[in-house]
Amino acid sequence: MGSDRAERSSIVILDLYVNQIDPPASMSDITKKSEEQEAAEAEVERFRKNLGPFVVAAETTRMAMVFADATEPHNPLIFANDAFLSLTGYDREEVLGKSFNFLMAHGADAEALARIKNAFEGTSNGGAEVLYRRKDGSEFWTGLFISPVYDGHGNLVQYFASFVDLTLYKENEAKSKRLIDELNHRVKNTLATVQSIVWQAMRTASGPQLIREAIESRLFALSRSHDLLTRENWESAGLFDIVHDALEPFEGAKRIVIKGENIRFAPKSALALGIVFNELATNAVKYGALSNDEGSILIEWTMEPTPENTRLSLHWQEKDGPPVLTPSRIGFGSRVIERSLSHELEGTVNLDFRPDGLACTMTIPMPRVTRGR
Amino acid sequence: MADKLLSGRRVLVVEDETLILMMIEGMLTDLGCESVTAAATVDKALALIDTQVFDAAMLDMNMNGNTSHSVAEALVARGVPFVYCTGNDGHEITGANHDWPVLKKPFKDEQLAEILRRLLSPD
Repeated sequence: MGSDRAERSSIVILDLYVNQIDPPASMSDITKKSEEQEAAEAEVERFRKNLGPFVVAAETTRMAMVFADATEPHNPLIFANDAFLSLTGYDREEVLGKSFNFLMAHGADAEALARIKNAFEGTSNGGAEVLYRRKDGSEFWTGLFISPVYDGHGNLVQYFASFVDLTLYKENEAKSKRLIDELNHRVKNTLATVQSIVWQAMRTASGPQLIREAIESRLFALSRSHDLLTRENWESAGLFDIVHDALEPFEGAKRIVIKGENIRFAPKSALALGIVFNELATNAVKYGALSNDEGSILIEWTMEPTPENTRLSLHWQEKDGPPVLTPSRIGFGSRVIERSLSHELEGTVNLDFRPDGLACTMTIPMPRVTRGR
Repeated sequence: MADKLLSGRRVLVVEDETLILMMIEGMLTDLGCESVTAAATVDKALALIDTQVFDAAMLDMNMNGNTSHSVAEALVARGVPFVYCTGNDGHEITGANHDWPVLKKPFKDEQLAEILRRLLSPD
């Protein structure tokens, strides 16, 4: 099989070289140049004998390659390998004789033409990046490398050009640009969130110690939510994991029972819920069921179908803590809980300061519910 | 800290992150604004612009991945001056209506006040 292929390839090469050395000519030219022609044919034969295996390699390699005639204007193609044909979608007879630049997606792109010219003159480093167009109209980026080919007399007769398909590279480049932009956007929003946390702490807490605690508690909550989302590739996070990770660092976390499906939430909602559960736990440690040794918290949720969508119904119930007093004013924690639910999650929340323990009920519509994996 | 130009003003804040919104509300209240109305989604913002009167608006450019062009258009149609608010770099702001100022997050309350004063001053 390999030898068949090699033979076919050699024949193609030979034909091409004869074409190149023997351009269409008038009758008088042919008689006049017959000696020259003989010499040229001998040259091709010698070239083929000497370089035959390399030409076969050029034909069969998976790297797209062409030879272009250096003696004609516009450097028409005289050889194209299979890889070039599969890269461009053309048949061999469609490309041979065409100008070297026929594939350019934007033929008048002066910068690209200059890059190609530099590549021909050997003044470019590492090849030129050019946008080409396939037969089917689709465009692709390629890295173009050009080497001059000289005959035995030192005359420039051909250019040898190879093409590296840069499609994947360009896609990755664009993807990493998008990721950097997205990262920058997230960082700036996170910094604004941190600014808000500091700002609120300075307004509501009194004394450096309390201010520091208020800031740190929320920064750590934000950090844990980021950890969880990073483990999930920032695609989504499960509710069980969100609640668990938010409460886990609190003293008395062993007295918290969490029951519910790991319903998936989008990153932004997961961050909001992380803050909410951090505020509830902070309150429980300060005043509620986690402020003594006996208290406990049960957190459970169910999904309820509604005419329009599905609704998450979550209950946070504290018991056996010290007697609960209704706060005299609505603190920042309560406001964050209320606003996060209503503003960001389009849900509702009810904080019921029952004497036997705080009961918090949340209702969150789940428009695009994704079940836990 | 209350500002003569801003006192009694009704401001719409279109911002989808609760903590950032709460800070902006606090800043605007400190500046003397009469009412601050918040929207977390493009749809809610459009509904509010349809039914309420605002003197000025703050508009996050990127609402949870959705651009807020339609909100900007609705504000222009109603003659409500606004300031864009974004976490992106200045030069990354594409397709935005360049007639309006841009506040880059995070920002100081003085910057917000300065921009609102410019938006609301009769020239």
